[in-house]
Amino acid sequence: MKVLVVDDFATMRKIIKNVLKQINIENVLEAENGKHALTVLGGEEVDLIISDWIMPEMTGIEFLKACKGDDNIKKIPFIMVTAEAQKDNIMEAIKSGVDNYIVKPFTPEKLREAIDKAKAKVGK
Amino acid sequence: MDVKYINPFIMAAQSVFRTMLGIEVTLSKPVIKTSRTTSGEVTGIMGLVGDRKGTITISFQDKGALFIYKTLIGDESTAINSDVVDAIGEITNIISGQARKEFEKAGINLKAAIPMVIVGKEIELNFITTLPIVQLPFNFSVGNGTQEVMFLDFSFE
Repeated sequence: MKVLVVDDFATMRKIIKNVLKQINIENVLEAENGKHALTVLGGEEVDLIISDWIMPEMTGIEFLKACKGDDNIKKIPFIMVTAEAQKDNIMEAIKSGVDNYIVKPFTPEKLREAIDKAKAKVGK
Repeated sequence: MDVKYINPFIMAAQSVFRTMLGIEVTLSKPVIKTSRTTSGEVTGIMGLVGDRKGTITISFQDKGALFIYKTLIGDESTAINSDVVDAIGEITNIISGQARKEFEKAGINLKAAIPMVIVGKEIELNFITTLPIVQLPFNFSVGNGTQEVMFLDFSFE
């Protein structure tokens, strides 16, 4: 499985990569924001997207909307990571077609569960 | 200091260590600090504003900070460098985010700033309140029977 991790903070990308490694997912691509992620998706086949919420240039929600509006990538399971466990944020992501979300802090098991649910939602 | 201001920080620290690091922490006796300085050698600082205002700091000795870096990121480092500093900044961010969630349950809404990290012992800090600083010392094991401490200091009004 190839995963695209999108976060403007390099340390958070490393943390997510480390958590993915603990559930045996080691093929990971990185992007600094939604705009950069769309460029990556233009040249790479990806099986899963894990994206932060607050990022410069293109936020997570803008990136989500761009993905779900593009026939070529809308079937890629999309998980939103947020530190803000606020219902408004989550509701907006659900309305915009997010396949699952996970609130920091999370365990490897919780991420595995979120991945499985996101994959099931898009029928993968 | 009202206990309702202490519990969210305790719950946040315990929960973040358990979930993100797979480590159980034990709280030692809280103390009121007489100085307004950093408690360890690598310190993440976060200001909180909203229904209340205050500052929290998350501070480790060098060895504790290196262990946190290794556990969180999966890489080894033998010295405090910018990667280790960033990791302490992120753990500060996550603990304060979790604490805000706990405060929200008690009807207190807070917003956080971007965390800042400073390296050095007994560095003077501005806690933006005039109230005393409460220090919560959390002990955790770094293997081979060695214990380290994370100091969660806060002043809140």
